[in-house]
Amino acid sequence: MIPLFARERAPLVALLAIACAALAAGCSSSTSSSASSGSTPSSPASASASSSALPTGTVNVAYASSLQFLNEKVVSPAFTAANGYTFSGRGASSGDLEADIASGEITPNVFESVDGDNITPLEPKFTNWYIQYAGTSMVVAYNPKSKYASKFKAIADGSMPLSSLFTLLQTPGLKLGRTDPNTDPQGRDFIEMLELAQTYYHLPSDTVAKILGTPDFGSASSSEIYAESALDSTLESGQLDAASAFVTQAIELHLAYIPLPTAINLGSAADAAQYKKAKVTIKGGVTKSGSPQVIDITIIGTPTPAAIAFVKYTLSAAGLAQYKAGGFTLPTPTIVGSASSVPTEISSELGG
Amino acid sequence: MSAWVSVAGAGVIWLALLGPVIALATNLSGSAIASSLTAPGALDPLVTSLESGLVTLAVLFVVCTPLAWMLARRKLPFPRVWETGVLCSLLLPPLVIGLLLVFLVGPYTPIGRAIGWLHQSATNTFLALVIAEVYESAPYYVLGAQSAFASVEPRLEQQAGLLGDRPRRVFRRVTLPLAAPGLAMALSIAWARAMGAFGAVIIIAYHPAGIPLQIYTTLQETGLASALPYALVLLVVALPLPLAAYIWSARAGRRRRG
Repeated sequence: MIPLFARERAPLVALLAIACAALAAGCSSSTSSSASSGSTPSSPASASASSSALPTGTVNVAYASSLQFLNEKVVSPAFTAANGYTFSGRGASSGDLEADIASGEITPNVFESVDGDNITPLEPKFTNWYIQYAGTSMVVAYNPKSKYASKFKAIADGSMPLSSLFTLLQTPGLKLGRTDPNTDPQGRDFIEMLELAQTYYHLPSDTVAKILGTPDFGSASSSEIYAESALDSTLESGQLDAASAFVTQAIELHLAYIPLPTAINLGSAADAAQYKKAKVTIKGGVTKSGSPQVIDITIIGTPTPAAIAFVKYTLSAAGLAQYKAGGFTLPTPTIVGSASSVPTEISSELGG
Repeated sequence: MSAWVSVAGAGVIWLALLGPVIALATNLSGSAIASSLTAPGALDPLVTSLESGLVTLAVLFVVCTPLAWMLARRKLPFPRVWETGVLCSLLLPPLVIGLLLVFLVGPYTPIGRAIGWLHQSATNTFLALVIAEVYESAPYYVLGAQSAFASVEPRLEQQAGLLGDRPRRVFRRVTLPLAAPGLAMALSIAWARAMGAFGAVIIIAYHPAGIPLQIYTTLQETGLASALPYALVLLVVALPLPLAAYIWSARAGRRRRG
């Protein structure tokens, strides 16, 4: 018997084998992930470019949940193919991400938020500018197998007046889902949309309270409230009749939905003054006002080449076309904050 | 020398496991604890967690103990199939458990409708919280209780039967007392899982909030400094039971050997 494999040495051999395997896995992992420098492209999709022309590196992007499908399935592969950098994304509600960035729990290079209210608290420590570049709007998604589906459909196709939606939502036993207004912008947006609808359609003054099931609009103590990750899946599983959603979410998830007029859907910059009249007071006595649902992008911390490339790509014609295809509206990209702090590569993309 | 090396190595691993707890202790300030835990309603999640945890333990003991005993005594046909079923539920990530529970107890499911006839709901209610905690902790209890019953010498049960005790009396006077320390350990592990349940809870029981969900929402609303005190509360409240069960189990084991 070869002494190395003698019985008494078996544990040592096993330990050495495990250590070698771990080392090999570690080496394999480090070579497959993008290096911070070097001229060899890391993505096989960049074959169209010269193998030594595209840079390598990773851009770490924190994005609002409503951008998950677009970023992971559409933007990421196209960006990597065009630029060589690898995309690493993390989706969550914009409020959650802002809190995580502020506390240091996460350190993304780029932050994409719904509503600049989730970026301004990060100023000036993490950034002092952001760019508004795309828009979405509120809709009411519904379960096509719900016992109320025929009414939802009639409202969606105009056979019934849209104002009747807000009476329908008050029906006892109708299962409505929404998100927590204290942690998720969509939760606040839905309430603001209801308030705007109550005014726009001259509905009774207690309409919103009846739909929400409480006069305390900022309360999270409601059986209607679901975690953002749970709401769409609960609607898709057929266990809700209707739910709040952004139009882009509804399109990406193939949800049936009722579009709403710009006067109440928080989707038009021209109606910003009207939207501002809708307010929600959340925990801590903080009052949030309605605003157009604009997607904003910024770089967190010191701009890295990969971060600059990603923001530049997002704002390019190709990048914006992907957003348009996803159901987003495309206002003129606008810098908010310190324009001089925006990397020149990005401001040149805006024509600045 | 080798004994000291072993102790040092074990110490390193122990400290590594305690790393998060050490980080909690070093990142907490008295002022943050005071401001977070003295706000109105601040301790409501603690009460919710304790109540739901105790109900969960009761459900596990009543419902899962017979299954564990039958698994231990090979009373079920094709025992590997039954054990695989328990392992399947253990292997599912808690988030997936929650997503699948929607299909099981959602308001428009047969079970959900039946619950609705009782004017209850298994979504975003205390009942939903208990259901989520039961599903997250049950496999741990079943496997632990199975092990506890398996450690009871069958000859002792047989001898009690030969002396005239009926099966139920044998179970009550012989099996249960001998398995009690192990059952206590299994229950304490289940308690720890139930108290820390989050993945399934956030899907079907966003409200009422127990401590894990309160930590999550506080983190989003006001930041890390406000959320960490709740983590300390969770630790302080959840630890005594498993610790007591461990000490009792260890003493019972020494008495049996000694």
